[in-house]
Amino acid sequence: MSESTPLQRRRFLGLALAGTLLPAATAACAASGGGEEPGGGSGPTGEVSDQNPFGVAEGAAVDAVIFDGGYGTDYVSFVAAQYADLHGGGTLTVSPSTQIAQELQPRFVGGNPPDLVDNSGANAIGLATIAAQLEDLTPLTEAKNTDGEVIADTLYPGMLDDGTYDGRLVQLNYVLTVYGLWYSKTLFDANGWTAPATWDDALALGAAAREQGKYLFCWGKEAASYYLTLAVDSAVKEGGDEVRVAMGNLEADAWSHPAVQAVLGKMAEAVQAGYFRPGGAGTQFTAAQAQWSQAQEALLYPSGSWIENEMKSQTAPDFQMTCAPPPSVTAGAAMPAAAFHASAGEPFVVPSRGANTAGGMEVLRLMLSKEAATNFARTKLSSTIVRDTVPQDAFGSTALASQIAMLDAAGEDTYTFNFNDVYGFTSQNNVLWNGFLSGQLDVAGLTSGLQQQFDQTREDSGITKVEVS
Amino acid sequence: MSALPGAPGRTAVRGAARPPAASRRRWTFDRVSLVVVFLGVPLALYLVFVLYPFTQAAWYSLTSWSGFTATQEFIGLENYRRLLGDGLFLQAIGNSLSLLVVVPAVTLVLSFALACLLTFGGSSTGAVRGLSGSSFYRVVSFFPYVVPAIVVGIIFGRVYDPSAGLLNGVLTGLGLGRFQDFAWLGEPATALWAVIVVIVWSFVGFYMVLFVASIRAIPAEIFEAARIDGAGRFRTAVFIAAPGIAGSLRTAYVYLGIFALDAFVFLAAMNPDGGPGNSTLVITQQIFSTAFTQGRFGLACAMGVVLAVLTFVFTGLVLGIGQLLARRGAKEARA
Repeated sequence: MSESTPLQRRRFLGLALAGTLLPAATAACAASGGGEEPGGGSGPTGEVSDQNPFGVAEGAAVDAVIFDGGYGTDYVSFVAAQYADLHGGGTLTVSPSTQIAQELQPRFVGGNPPDLVDNSGANAIGLATIAAQLEDLTPLTEAKNTDGEVIADTLYPGMLDDGTYDGRLVQLNYVLTVYGLWYSKTLFDANGWTAPATWDDALALGAAAREQGKYLFCWGKEAASYYLTLAVDSAVKEGGDEVRVAMGNLEADAWSHPAVQAVLGKMAEAVQAGYFRPGGAGTQFTAAQAQWSQAQEALLYPSGSWIENEMKSQTAPDFQMTCAPPPSVTAGAAMPAAAFHASAGEPFVVPSRGANTAGGMEVLRLMLSKEAATNFARTKLSSTIVRDTVPQDAFGSTALASQIAMLDAAGEDTYTFNFNDVYGFTSQNNVLWNGFLSGQLDVAGLTSGLQQQFDQTREDSGITKVEVS
Repeated sequence: MSALPGAPGRTAVRGAARPPAASRRRWTFDRVSLVVVFLGVPLALYLVFVLYPFTQAAWYSLTSWSGFTATQEFIGLENYRRLLGDGLFLQAIGNSLSLLVVVPAVTLVLSFALACLLTFGGSSTGAVRGLSGSSFYRVVSFFPYVVPAIVVGIIFGRVYDPSAGLLNGVLTGLGLGRFQDFAWLGEPATALWAVIVVIVWSFVGFYMVLFVASIRAIPAEIFEAARIDGAGRFRTAVFIAAPGIAGSLRTAYVYLGIFALDAFVFLAAMNPDGGPGNSTLVITQQIFSTAFTQGRFGLACAMGVVLAVLTFVFTGLVLGIGQLLARRGAKEARA
């Protein structure tokens, strides 16, 4: 042991070799076996009719890989019987997965991807990476559902916006997601508080919270960027569509827009005044969320509608989780007070080289029927993008009821943006927002950091851009 | 071969009886199976699972591969040019190099000191021995190494929790009010150090055990002679124990260095996004996010190649300098 013989050293170099390039090496393994001709294409076709708008061949099987997350996969299997009935006993195979990118990478490279994928979860494939290999789903939205209605007319407004890439609708987000400020109706009623309509209301609420030893907001290190979503939501409401478009197109002075700066200024005031619970930059995000839902140390939390399900086991009894639209800066904002950020999650895609692309689209058509969508809402306590599938009592969920009420109040005044997902900004957003919310970065520092990220991406010719209008 | 055709069995028997020099080129079943099992199989595994992916990764680093297409577009050294201008990647390299400098140094010093205590740090009367109860300490300090890195990361993520964490609980309990809600992993001044402490904690026990074994291999008379000559424990450690286990130290240094350049698991658990102001962002995290969240496998492979080069340079330096020192030491000993 006391001297290193050449043999030991060689073995060591070997270990070094094996150990260090592992990340790159694993990436490398994935491409072996590539370069072959596509196995599928559109496959055999059947007769096209209203009951079979995509011409699925009799008995053609569908191979679906579905993200097995909070919603499970049974809502997809739900339509298997109906699919078999309509298409001569064709089977729908649902393979659950939590490693979508790692599992499907070899299949995309090898040219034999599944017919339908729910590309969701932490290991989802970046849309830009595979967009060119996906079917345009416009025919799906133009087709009629099983009740004979055109599918596009049965959806909440704006639900297809995030799925458009290079002018083609390449993904269909199935589950409605409402973004806003979440609070406990019980707590607010008991204190006579109301959800803030403007940032000045929010600051006043913060002062009231401090009097009780509570905070206005709290945050967790992996979810600091939820406050970016809140800031952009507020700024779009204040400044109108031009803000959303400037952000979506990564414009050179997007973060210097007066509406954006006004929102950031108000948030900085809240930080300075100590309305944010300290320590968020070092707190795991679900622990931070429990500070709001369980310990009730903070009054408001900005999030999407998955929050109810996510915190189910860590929510105080009789919390009555409720959502409110994001605050505007002034009463004279470009959009009405009821306007808010609504989009959809669980992105379903149909790879063009699948063996039965028509079957993949057909399964989506069946999932978008009233029957399947209502089944989803009832079993998951979340709405799909299909309108009018949630009854008045919202199956007893205050969170779901408040979302539906917000949607009804807003009408066409909803908006969405997805530049963070498209360009993979979330990690660096978290870094910047952790700094801002804990007071290490001021508005100028935050603005320049966010703008620098935009500028770098915009000027990098190696990154495909998504045009937003 | 002079053997009759059709009688290989006899040849083999006669061959075995011959002197070894003559039978060197004879392919008996014994020799063939030995070569296949002990050379062929490992070499094949090495080629397929190490060298082939290696060259593949190097090739991909010259392409703009997204990771999901069957073909790759060749773009020459464009990815490397991009890395040179990528402030975030350069910052990650800086952080990785800081880990490379600090983690092995602190771990080795600590584990060597502990190993000395357990081997010759005991009572100065009677035979040279370690502290009483040393076998107990040895077992206990090995525990952290048995816990998987991801678990260590998650545990310490909670220990460092600003409001509910053990550390701040103890500190505020001692009356240090300024640590109320102090975010150890969220302050630029403390984040990297907090991570280093965790990594060192999880490795010290293992290297201590390794060094205890190496020090035991040094003849006890040398320690006794040193003591009789009046050397204290510190001098004994520096001039007897350290040179005596130079090989182990060097090996441990290389291994820890390679580990410090990786460090992915600990950071993925404690600061997955890069930490305050990216002060805990390391190269491997950048590789992961570039490949999997941004879908730029070509660029990620280029980062991997840079990391490999760094590792080779580091390993070469440590082993080369070690050899130089050893040679000089031997010369001095002869003089």
